[in-house]
Amino acid sequence: MKRYAYYLSCINESMTKEVDRSIDLWQKDLGIELVKLHEGTCCGGSNLDYVSPKHFALVNARNIALAEKMGLDLIVSCNTCLMTIRSAKKKLDETPALKQEVNEILKKEGLEYRGTSEVRHLLWVLVDDVGLDTIRQKVKVPLKNYRIAPFYGCHILRPSTVLGHDNPLDPTSLDQLIEALGGQTIPYKHKNRCCGFHTLLVAEQESLNVAAEALQEAIQSKADFIVTPCPLCHTSLDGYQAKALKHAGVDTSIPVFHISEMIGLALGYSAKQLGIKRHIVS
Amino acid sequence: MTVPIDQHNEGVKKNVTFRVFRFNPQVDSKPYFDDYTIPVERGITVLRSLNYIKEHIDASVSFRAFCQAGICGSCGMRVNGRSQLACTTQVWDVLARSRDEGIIKVEPLRNLPLIKDLIVDMDPLVDKMKHYSNWIDSTMPEASMGKKEFLISEEEFLRYDKATDCILCASCVSECSILRANKEYVSPAVLLKSYRMNVDSRDSIHGQRLAELVKDHGVWDCTHCYRCQESCVKSIPIMDAIHGIREDAIESRGMKDTSGSKHAEAFMSDIEKKGKLVEATLPIRTNGVVWTLQNLLPMAVKMIMKRRTPPPPPLVKSAKGIKIFREMFREMTEHVKQDHKSHKK
Repeated sequence: MKRYAYYLSCINESMTKEVDRSIDLWQKDLGIELVKLHEGTCCGGSNLDYVSPKHFALVNARNIALAEKMGLDLIVSCNTCLMTIRSAKKKLDETPALKQEVNEILKKEGLEYRGTSEVRHLLWVLVDDVGLDTIRQKVKVPLKNYRIAPFYGCHILRPSTVLGHDNPLDPTSLDQLIEALGGQTIPYKHKNRCCGFHTLLVAEQESLNVAAEALQEAIQSKADFIVTPCPLCHTSLDGYQAKALKHAGVDTSIPVFHISEMIGLALGYSAKQLGIKRHIVS
Repeated sequence: MTVPIDQHNEGVKKNVTFRVFRFNPQVDSKPYFDDYTIPVERGITVLRSLNYIKEHIDASVSFRAFCQAGICGSCGMRVNGRSQLACTTQVWDVLARSRDEGIIKVEPLRNLPLIKDLIVDMDPLVDKMKHYSNWIDSTMPEASMGKKEFLISEEEFLRYDKATDCILCASCVSECSILRANKEYVSPAVLLKSYRMNVDSRDSIHGQRLAELVKDHGVWDCTHCYRCQESCVKSIPIMDAIHGIREDAIESRGMKDTSGSKHAEAFMSDIEKKGKLVEATLPIRTNGVVWTLQNLLPMAVKMIMKRRTPPPPPLVKSAKGIKIFREMFREMTEHVKQDHKSHKK
């Protein structure tokens, strides 16, 4: 059983509780153990970095240091938390003076940021560590009748200087996971585009236009559902779907799944167990 | 349409089909693509191939180009869907990544009006640069100009060194998610120029420019998708500039003047108080009660029915060990205050 420290994202503790619930169901089936970091704090959600770059460095040095203390890599299941914490790590690793300043403060809690733990997305762990062959072997209910639109979201791809796992122009990891689970990925131009989440409260109409475009392409391509590795993309594409499509004059809908739910379905868990009924679009 | 190309040197050649976007609004009812197949050897750029096509196969193909060396920024276009300069893009490199073997699709930049074929109208971008005063309005009295040097420190120059690399090719404009959703949006290139001018100590209209940047369709409308930065042909960290304007806006104008700054403040204060984001009140803190009721009530009802609503503030559990976390957070606040003091000196 390979162990990892698991970062608790704010949204997964409030609106998208089904993410952590479904991961809890199947993590042992796939031979991984995610140890929850209850001491971890909000990463700053791609906002704290410009409000106060130094607080941003402190908060995320601490988040990573908590995992380092356990000698484990830090696993994240929200794209923006991933990009944010990895950005902080890059800054800390490239700026010795900042690292020293932050570590002076972290001493208070007996912590030290060393830069030894990697910060990785759950999707990367599944593809690279668990492996697609293992996943294939564990599938009980192949998703063979489903045409699936893979929506990667921005912050698992860009900036590539911070992320670097997939080619942001032509990402493949999510497609590979879908295929390992027996599903059929569809060609989907919006796979590496934006969901509009980060401006939903600031430039709502623009965000809804962005979301509507991604939804419409999936609907027109006759996808059965969209799947995303990011709970923020899920919130935009599922929670705001009715509003986005209504504005675009589209009178239909499409379900949006988290990767954790799609895996759960293929491993034989029910929609109810996985919390799929909590989605706004059924 | 297949014609041999004279490369003046020997070597392996590949037959490449350039699938070129065609549209002349004065003649055509809708756009179409023309295929031109030519043999191309390693080292040849997309622009050189287009020049060849124009000279030898079809003189009516229209595109804009000048320096052929990645300096002037004229030949921005989409090559296999990616906005970039035709003159610095190697045909063989594109072929290696091409989904359709042997085919390279060439299209005009997005988010700008089309004039003809691969030529877009740059005027909306220039108009925005004017609107956001993308120039230095010097603090030096006119009488002194030309009589003495206007020196800046190296430290200051390094703050906008990268931003001065921009050649206005509009690749970032073409890739911008928000501009695609609303053509009124300021656009990444204009934000980058605005940042460059606003951090220059020789400039006298910083406050005026910033006041314009924080209005609707300005800096707060960026949705952090990083497509601009990823497509920049000069590898400029454009998001750093956008975040730089936001940081400046918060420092110069406070955190209460726009929904964007109020939204950002909520993150800072929630992290300090609980270590967690209090999502239930985020819409109200960003836009007020009236906006929230008008815009989010129907969705809130659906969320309640699905038990999906975020917990009210008292029920948001603080992160474990919040007391010591808060102390550390506040210690950093003192560091930041000190930094500001020494910065002002």
